[in-house]
Amino acid sequence: MFEKYSILFIQENCIQCHGCEVACKNWRNVELGVNWRKVDTIWQGKYPDSKNVPIMMACRQCADPACAAACPVGAIEKNDAAGVVLVNRGKCIGCKVCFEACPYDVPQFGVDGTMQKCDWCFHETNGNPIKPPCVTTCPTQALILLSEKGE
Amino acid sequence: MITKRRYSSSGTLGLTWKEAIALAQNNGEQVVPTFCAMCGPTPLSCGVYAFVKDGRFTNVAGMQESPNNKGAVCPKGHAAPQWVYSPDRLKYPMKRVGSKGEGKFARISWDEAIGIIADTLKSQKEKYGPESLAILAPAMRTYNAYIKRFLTVHGSPNYGHSGICALQRGFSFMYTIADWPVAEIDQSDLVIYWGRQPIFSGPAMDGPRLLLKVKERGAKIVAIKPSAEPDVGKADIWLPLRPGTDAALALAMLHVVVNEELIDKEFVEKWCYGYELLKEHIQKYPPAWAEKITGVAAEQIYEVARLYATTKRASIDLGNGVEHAPSANDSIRAVAILIAITGHLDRPGGNVFRSPETVMPMPMDITLRDRYTEEMRDKLVAPEFPKEFQPFVEGFSSAYYRIFDSILTGNPYQIRTVIAPGTQPVTSTRGSKRVIEALKKLDFYVIVDVTRTADMDYADIVIPVTTPYESEHPFEAIGGRIMARNKVIEPLGDYKSIYEFFLDLGVKMGYDQDFWHGNIIKAMDDQLQPFGMTFAELKKYSTGIIYESIPRTYENYQKVFTRKSPRLSGAPFLPHGKVEIYNTSFEEAGYNPLPEWREPPESLTGTPDLIEKYPLVLSDYHTSKNYTASWERNVPYLRELQPYPTIHIHPDTAMGRGINNNDWVIVESPHGWMKVKAEFYPGIRPDTVMILHGWWQGCQELGLKDFPLLDGGANVNMMYSVDPEKAFDPIITAMSSQTLVQVRKA
Repeated sequence: MFEKYSILFIQENCIQCHGCEVACKNWRNVELGVNWRKVDTIWQGKYPDSKNVPIMMACRQCADPACAAACPVGAIEKNDAAGVVLVNRGKCIGCKVCFEACPYDVPQFGVDGTMQKCDWCFHETNGNPIKPPCVTTCPTQALILLSEKGE
Repeated sequence: MITKRRYSSSGTLGLTWKEAIALAQNNGEQVVPTFCAMCGPTPLSCGVYAFVKDGRFTNVAGMQESPNNKGAVCPKGHAAPQWVYSPDRLKYPMKRVGSKGEGKFARISWDEAIGIIADTLKSQKEKYGPESLAILAPAMRTYNAYIKRFLTVHGSPNYGHSGICALQRGFSFMYTIADWPVAEIDQSDLVIYWGRQPIFSGPAMDGPRLLLKVKERGAKIVAIKPSAEPDVGKADIWLPLRPGTDAALALAMLHVVVNEELIDKEFVEKWCYGYELLKEHIQKYPPAWAEKITGVAAEQIYEVARLYATTKRASIDLGNGVEHAPSANDSIRAVAILIAITGHLDRPGGNVFRSPETVMPMPMDITLRDRYTEEMRDKLVAPEFPKEFQPFVEGFSSAYYRIFDSILTGNPYQIRTVIAPGTQPVTSTRGSKRVIEALKKLDFYVIVDVTRTADMDYADIVIPVTTPYESEHPFEAIGGRIMARNKVIEPLGDYKSIYEFFLDLGVKMGYDQDFWHGNIIKAMDDQLQPFGMTFAELKKYSTGIIYESIPRTYENYQKVFTRKSPRLSGAPFLPHGKVEIYNTSFEEAGYNPLPEWREPPESLTGTPDLIEKYPLVLSDYHTSKNYTASWERNVPYLRELQPYPTIHIHPDTAMGRGINNNDWVIVESPHGWMKVKAEFYPGIRPDTVMILHGWWQGCQELGLKDFPLLDGGANVNMMYSVDPEKAFDPIITAMSSQTLVQVRKA
């Protein structure tokens, strides 16, 4: 079994269908107004050489997460074994300092005010590196589950 | 709150049946193999596993065994549970108790509702003739055959086809080259996506995968459309033409290949009729002329025409975009001629004839075409194609919008009952203002649907039906796979399926014999005869049966060019057994034998006097990434992706008007006005603005209200001309979706 894995976004394969986004929301019962994964569009070039390209907004599970360092109550933890950054929502006080600290604007806050974000379905899969719904639903395999040890 | 679940997969997309069972067991759930229904029910749906917890439909995973989606699911598919449990669902049959448009209804039983409809149809049949009934065809749906069967048994030819989708391309191709050929994209060195949306038209299916493979192979991609949607980002060359000017572009491309003799001379001599006449005729359409109309530089037209003609394996994937202009027939047949004379017809990597791809038999046709008569044909209230060309491949058809027009004009006679199954005339066709007037005047209007509809307030009877997730039938047999639909959950209200609606109504009308005495299983068994199995037997194959494929053959000209047309006479599509470059059938019926240019009712080049007041071209998108037609704005997970109707506008165009990104704006045409949001879209022609069609529905969960159906709302269909002289293609109906507008800050 693998120890570390990551979800890779291959921009040129993304067709901007947003399947991953809604798969994530429905499989994880993510509340309205909150996104753990989001496909956004940026424009490049001037008309008529303009084209829109996708960018993926989701937690990057940083090696040295700024959110964890900033959290005053130690509610955010880097799980070094798996490579995932996990939030203990029971501990979180909803101060949003993590949001200020994150360079990617990842932390999300719903009705209960605590921080939530993509966790690679870590607990859902009991820590095993098996593919989460965002990855398995992608028609063009723009999201790929990578393992450090390989299959 | 997060529920505990395990989601596993064996390395490819979606789940296998075995994995789905394991996942369900692990989560204390049931799993049902079935089809997604969010685009339909269409005859080519994506296979899915539906998960059920304590009787409630919770999640969807892609079915890896399903050949068309191969385990992938798009956002719509994943949002299905929210659609099924929407507060907008209709739960029981109703009859109108207030005045038309007031929206007051009383609950009645299923049987009472069927009884009222049957009584009305019987008395109208006696008084006005059976042709006084029209049933609207929403799109390609698995229940269309039941609509046709009901109409034929009743004696009406008035199957209300849209006039703007698929059959238009089918017609112009068939009467030019006797086939609607497919772009063999996986073998092409050059692919031209023309008026096509290869991504949003079925994102989980093969379209996007093929597009990416073309790129991976290093083959060239050309995109022809007014705005740079995501697919344009994958293209090497983009021709940003003005909406509705495809015919001008195609004629200019013909001009280039004919004058530079970039043609397959042998093919033209052997298999084409009237090439010399085209050569003479096409001289009035040089690229410099087309540049003024299309807004595409003449040099670019030369470049793409030459590139296409000189690339041996080159295909054109002609999309729905060309079916929305009064010159639609001419643009389509000009492209058909272009494919043929450049030697790309039924050759590897070109546009190849449609032929059975697998050994799978076809289900029995239940539309009762053998009962068609000339008398029925002559009674068409608004022939979608001229009577000389009826019936076409889907049978008799009247044009959807013109059915409503007949109610107002009484010409040639007045339709008395309209049944709208899964379609909303006020947002689905043009001329929304006239459609509402017609609905007010219409004697009897029946809505058959799963959720409340845009024009429900005008209905006399509302029939709720199951979502396909609540239905144990029918089956789907297409693309080399047959599979039965399986029920995911019990119906949430007092209703049956749409198939059963037509059976029950048939029986109540006294048409028992023709409607399997109301037994839906018998109806399924009948259709399955060619498969040598019953519906019960088919049900045993959880993920269906996949049939062996047949290798493709090429250059089947002799066989295809002599094909018989579906007209009652059985006359062939091509009277000379050759490509009808010069179309003698059209000429005999009083139409142009050669493709010509016709301006939209309002355009920069056609109506210059309007430019001062309305300086921008408006058109709309037919396909969206997260909605199906005028539906699914009520589904919160989908609505979050695109909460407001937005008009795509170039930033320079907007800022010149003091408009910022996300501002509410007024868009005004000579026919109406909308209030929508501005979305800065750097990849759209600066002289053009575009919006997605079909906006009316609110979303209760997100606190978003319905939009007005007419002025002040976001329903783009009210913005266009429906002038009978200008807004329609004279032969294939195709309605204009182009007009001129001004945009200002709200």
